[in-house]
Amino acid sequence: ESVLRPAGAPSACLVPVRTKKRHSVPEWARELSPEEKEKRLRSLGTIFPEDRVERTFYLACTADIIDPYIPPEGDARLTSLSKDGLKQKMEKAKQTAVSQLALRKIKDHDLDFSTKTFPEKAQEIFIEAHNSLANFNKQKLHSLVTERCYPEMVRGNRYKTIRWSFVESLEPPRVVHMRCDSFVNRGNLYGQVTVRMHTRQTLAIYDRFGRLMYGGEQVPKDVLEYVVFEKYLVNPYGTWRMHGKIVPEWAPPKDPIVK
Amino acid sequence: WLAPSSLFPLSCLHTSTALQKLGKWEKKNRIVYPPQLPGEPRRPAEIYHCRREIKYSKDKMWYLAKLIKGMSIDQALAQLEFSDKKGAKVIKEVLLEAQELAVRNHNVEFKSNLHIAESTTGRGRYVKRIRYHGKGMFGIMNIVRCHYFVKLVEGPPPPPEPPRTGFDQAKEYVQQLRSRTLVNTL
Repeated sequence: ESVLRPAGAPSACLVPVRTKKRHSVPEWARELSPEEKEKRLRSLGTIFPEDRVERTFYLACTADIIDPYIPPEGDARLTSLSKDGLKQKMEKAKQTAVSQLALRKIKDHDLDFSTKTFPEKAQEIFIEAHNSLANFNKQKLHSLVTERCYPEMVRGNRYKTIRWSFVESLEPPRVVHMRCDSFVNRGNLYGQVTVRMHTRQTLAIYDRFGRLMYGGEQVPKDVLEYVVFEKYLVNPYGTWRMHGKIVPEWAPPKDPIVK
Repeated sequence: WLAPSSLFPLSCLHTSTALQKLGKWEKKNRIVYPPQLPGEPRRPAEIYHCRREIKYSKDKMWYLAKLIKGMSIDQALAQLEFSDKKGAKVIKEVLLEAQELAVRNHNVEFKSNLHIAESTTGRGRYVKRIRYHGKGMFGIMNIVRCHYFVKLVEGPPPPPEPPRTGFDQAKEYVQQLRSRTLVNTL
């Protein structure tokens, strides 16, 4: 008990420190609409932070194949045995409801599309794409192949020489599967069409030193492929481009790489 | 076409190691030979590899590089593993990396079927510092760095050249005497 510390006073007390009040909103201004809040802030002279610069991006192609087509087993092997039965099966598969809906949507946007003329165009695109891959014509390849397919085709090939040639087509190509879907926003339509191609091709890949790594130049091979083509339907300048291939599980194994 | 909504945040960072200037040795891995005709002998694969700015002297590193030159890769790795020098560890790492690159990227079948065709050292970037002596004297010292270059070639190592004997020298002398001709005469 001393003079400086009288008996009644507490031993310690919290002293609030008054600092400059920053970003403090008075109580009457707390529940205003956003426009009035902006007006208040502007009148007070606060500097607005720059709006977050949003970088727009443009999706020219989808990331994956929608509903990949499941090819029936023994597709290429049974054709010679029972033509009629298989033909019926093929037509039935084409007439699934979803494919027909997709076909109608595609015809809305792309007036010239027809399942009879498209497979030939598709095969031409296929051949040109592989030729420009063999010649490393990047610009042409970009216009014939979507951005999702391009790295799949090109990866690991920069220091290799590829020689590809198309001998002949064993069966006329056929549209087998169609899907149409919108991404990100509703109405942002992309159409995907699967074309079945049975062709004869020659492929020879040489590594960096000119040694044959895969295949042979005079060895034609029969290839059954299901190639997916995609088009950005809403874009008036969109084109049909190769999007990917569907490899069935029963496909024959590839040859080993010669080292 | 429709404007995309802002789903993804600002992510335009360009991160790539291709901004530094590539040296000549690294660019040698980029040459592509034209395809060989079926009758030609198979061209052996060549892999160039290097490591830059190793904290070691180029003269001291040269002894190890000269040791390895011409050996097969297994023998070289064995010699380096049991060498006491500081550079031996570095060169061993470089050789292992080069072996890995060869098998993965350059279509080499067997990783021990390689031999060392060339192995050299080069001067790195020196930094000058002050070395303090007694009585206020000083010297300027160099912080020394070096580069190490190696070229692996596929195939067994070439047989070493037989040393020149006196008999070879004598043969060459006799050959020189025999190839003399008369000049400026009919």
